[in-house]
Amino acid sequence: LAGPPSPPGQDPHGWRVPVDCVRANELCAAEPSCSSRYRTLRQCLAGRDRNTMLANKECQAALEVLQESPLYDCRCKRGMKKELQCLQIYWSIHLGLTEGEEFYEASPYEPVTSRLSDIFRLASIFSGMDPATNSKSNHCLDAAKACNLNDNCKRLRSGYISTCSKEISATEHCSRRKCHKALRQFFDRVPSEYTYRLLFCSCKDQACAERRRQTIVPSCSYEDKEKPNCLDLRNTCRTDHLCRSRLADFHTNCQASFQTLTSCPGDNYQACLGSYAGLIAGFDMTPNYIDASPTSITISPWCSCRGSGNMEEECEKFLRDFTENPCLRNAIQAFGNGTDVNLSP
Amino acid sequence: AAFGLYFPRKEYSENVYIDQPAGTPLLRIHALRDSHGEVAHFHLCQNLIISRARSHENHWFQIREKSGLLYLSKSLDREDFNMLSVGNWMPLSKVMLYVFLSSHPFQEKECDSAMRTTVFLSLINATAPACSSLTARQLCFTEMDLSFHIKENKPPGTFHQLQLPSVHHLCQNLSISYKLLAAEGMPFRYNENTTGVSVTQRLDREERERYELIAKCTVREGFREMQVEVPFLVNVLDEDDSPPFLPNGTDTADAVVEFNRKEGTVLATLTVYDADTTPIYPLESSRKKYTGTIITDDPWISETFRVEHIFDEIHFSPNGSQVRGTQHEYKLVLNKSISVTEHRSFQLDVLVNDTEFHGPERSLMLHFNVSILPVSIQFPNMTYQFTVNRNAERFAQIGKICVENCMKFRGVNITYKLLSLNVSCYPVSILQGREDKYGSLYVNDSSALRRPECKEIQYTIQATDKQSRKHTKTLLTIVLEGTLLKEEDCPDSCAVGKHRAECEECGGLGVLTGRCQWRQGSGKGITTNYSTCTPSIKTCPDGTCDVIESRDPSICPQDCTSGDIIGGHGKGTGNLGIKSGHGICYCFPRQNCYCEKDDIKEQLCDEVCKTVI
Repeated sequence: LAGPPSPPGQDPHGWRVPVDCVRANELCAAEPSCSSRYRTLRQCLAGRDRNTMLANKECQAALEVLQESPLYDCRCKRGMKKELQCLQIYWSIHLGLTEGEEFYEASPYEPVTSRLSDIFRLASIFSGMDPATNSKSNHCLDAAKACNLNDNCKRLRSGYISTCSKEISATEHCSRRKCHKALRQFFDRVPSEYTYRLLFCSCKDQACAERRRQTIVPSCSYEDKEKPNCLDLRNTCRTDHLCRSRLADFHTNCQASFQTLTSCPGDNYQACLGSYAGLIAGFDMTPNYIDASPTSITISPWCSCRGSGNMEEECEKFLRDFTENPCLRNAIQAFGNGTDVNLSP
Repeated sequence: AAFGLYFPRKEYSENVYIDQPAGTPLLRIHALRDSHGEVAHFHLCQNLIISRARSHENHWFQIREKSGLLYLSKSLDREDFNMLSVGNWMPLSKVMLYVFLSSHPFQEKECDSAMRTTVFLSLINATAPACSSLTARQLCFTEMDLSFHIKENKPPGTFHQLQLPSVHHLCQNLSISYKLLAAEGMPFRYNENTTGVSVTQRLDREERERYELIAKCTVREGFREMQVEVPFLVNVLDEDDSPPFLPNGTDTADAVVEFNRKEGTVLATLTVYDADTTPIYPLESSRKKYTGTIITDDPWISETFRVEHIFDEIHFSPNGSQVRGTQHEYKLVLNKSISVTEHRSFQLDVLVNDTEFHGPERSLMLHFNVSILPVSIQFPNMTYQFTVNRNAERFAQIGKICVENCMKFRGVNITYKLLSLNVSCYPVSILQGREDKYGSLYVNDSSALRRPECKEIQYTIQATDKQSRKHTKTLLTIVLEGTLLKEEDCPDSCAVGKHRAECEECGGLGVLTGRCQWRQGSGKGITTNYSTCTPSIKTCPDGTCDVIESRDPSICPQDCTSGDIIGGHGKGTGNLGIKSGHGICYCFPRQNCYCEKDDIKEQLCDEVCKTVI
């Protein structure tokens, strides 16, 4: 069993602790040799693949210098100030280096070190009612009540609900772009003990599961007239720095693993749920429950593998990471049951 | 073909342990041929790629150029491990290698061939495990699914070796044997001596596109015997080897242009099938591969029509097993709006071409029988007569004016105009309805209604088609009736009325008979049938803010308000108006609207109101 990733700051293997890319960019800009190499590399990478780039002497020299600079190992934090700028800097270096056609990309975000149990501890302080003991209660309704009792949660929740249900015209049922933005604000600014309870509440009947499915106002944020092909959707997502990063983060933290008990990388449920929630406002890659079934949980983005041609296998592999992912399913169920993995230190 | 040889797998994986000796075999890579006589050459590229960390020059791994065996050329010691894991945040270090393929011996640094496969090597921070500590699953198969793809119409060949070279090398005292189950009648063969799996004949995707077999492994160690079974999947890759064909032989469709003449109108659709798959991604390139072109010398036809091509996946069942195919739809579309005077008939031919199919039947012709009928702009054979009450207020809606078939028109813009005969009495005006289909008559000057000398007023109505300037006229008579009511001290707007009594004793903008009308709602909870006071139940509230109502916010705020609505309600389309409300809805124009229950005796909140989220 693999242990949890070491928290940033501590450094058992003696390697450099990554700084955030905005800071790394400032450090680089202060150093003339670094900043000029960085400019060179960015020009090298613009519109070229890795191999043609490395064939160029000047580009290769720039890369070698930058490998020693803090820019090379820099990361971003979810919901940080200037997150978008940070991700732009990250991808400006990594886009050409991690081969665009890679199936899984590494996350530009720092690893998550907190655990689900931290959330439960906080949750029990404010709720007063222990969800595990009351079997008749509707946990999703309790989650909505808990959110309404917190000013910040209530304000941002009603904010996204009204934005996402505002009809624009007879043909345009809502503004999807604004809805996603409002959802992103909700998930970025409201503590996860509130947002996770809404998103991952456990259900025993259909009414509860329907409420859970409706959490993100799927008629606006999720469904669309047509279902695009999943590979096409992934391509669209990868043209956007934020969407690309959130998807890479999801793949890094929720990719089913054979090497752990829970099927999650590092047995870290919190990290997987966090990157799932991070994907929700991730533009068109937003995942959701596909139906109101209380017990069998199936998650999918709004896409299908119809029309994949010779890429059907790859498309289904991509889709299965949502629909048949034991890590994601275990994480959601563990949250609903209020259990986390007990890790021996 | 463009590239000859190809890999039957996209990815391979294996574990590498600390201090495994040089010469340890890791895994075996296979290539399949495009034509007989090709010889595969394998080659590794210089760099080890480590996700998100810096890449390193490869000092440890090599591949046999002919056999495709990847092996350790130098053992990895702890120092090498530490160096390769720097910056790699995952608990498990993975390095990636690209293996390239060519039909001729490799020259130096040839790393840009399109044919490559990826090898993932998991670096395990421990020495190689003892064979006795490995499970049967680990001894028999890697973690990666046994899933392959084989191109259709290509020569047979070996595409996989079940035995793991690393395990075979490490655990020589174990007997590990394999079998391929469910292979009877399938075009695959397992060779026990080499543990190789080969495809025995050319495959046809249009016949069957997926084979599901089972690989069974038996491990014997002394008297102990363990067995593992895993799925063994083969997908057949498609190439364009089928021509387009017509379902039911239909190659002709009628396309009639009459009342709907608007740019973008779909006139007719013809369908073409193809047994090949067509990826919808990337969309544009697939559209280019399957073209539909209008065949004509007439510049008018090529300007006026276009063909739109959409396609979708469908399923065929040639022999019980489902295979995917494509349905192409060619839609004849108006490229611009057509004038009402246009009148012609002709046959329009569209040539469909499957550009990547190499055969004589690669194209076929579709025929559209196009009839463009003229539309006459004329009033129905009658004159209009409307009766207006003398107490009607400004913006009262009197009636609609419509040329023949006007409600069916699309892309025809008709302008209605009133030409007045007697100048002194001029109480009504006309406004265009939505999309310029009809005209709405309304009271514009209510003082003229009150003047005794105005009794029967004659107008001429003229309707003009904007594009052709064709016009037509008819007579309109307005008869005034009723006696004048006493003026009350009332607000401008009916919508202010909160109770039935105060509503019905007042007038307001838009009323037809001098008095507002009360709509009694049925309403439990929030309903579209809420109680409200309106100038005319027929037009307000009806869920649309029409051209006349939008002239003044006092006429029908129930349909037109964009202000706040206080109380239980649902907003209308485009955020305008009150679509549904709780109890009685009333409005102060240019300010807020309120929806509330009037009946104080009723419980403040019943079950319905409690469930509002």
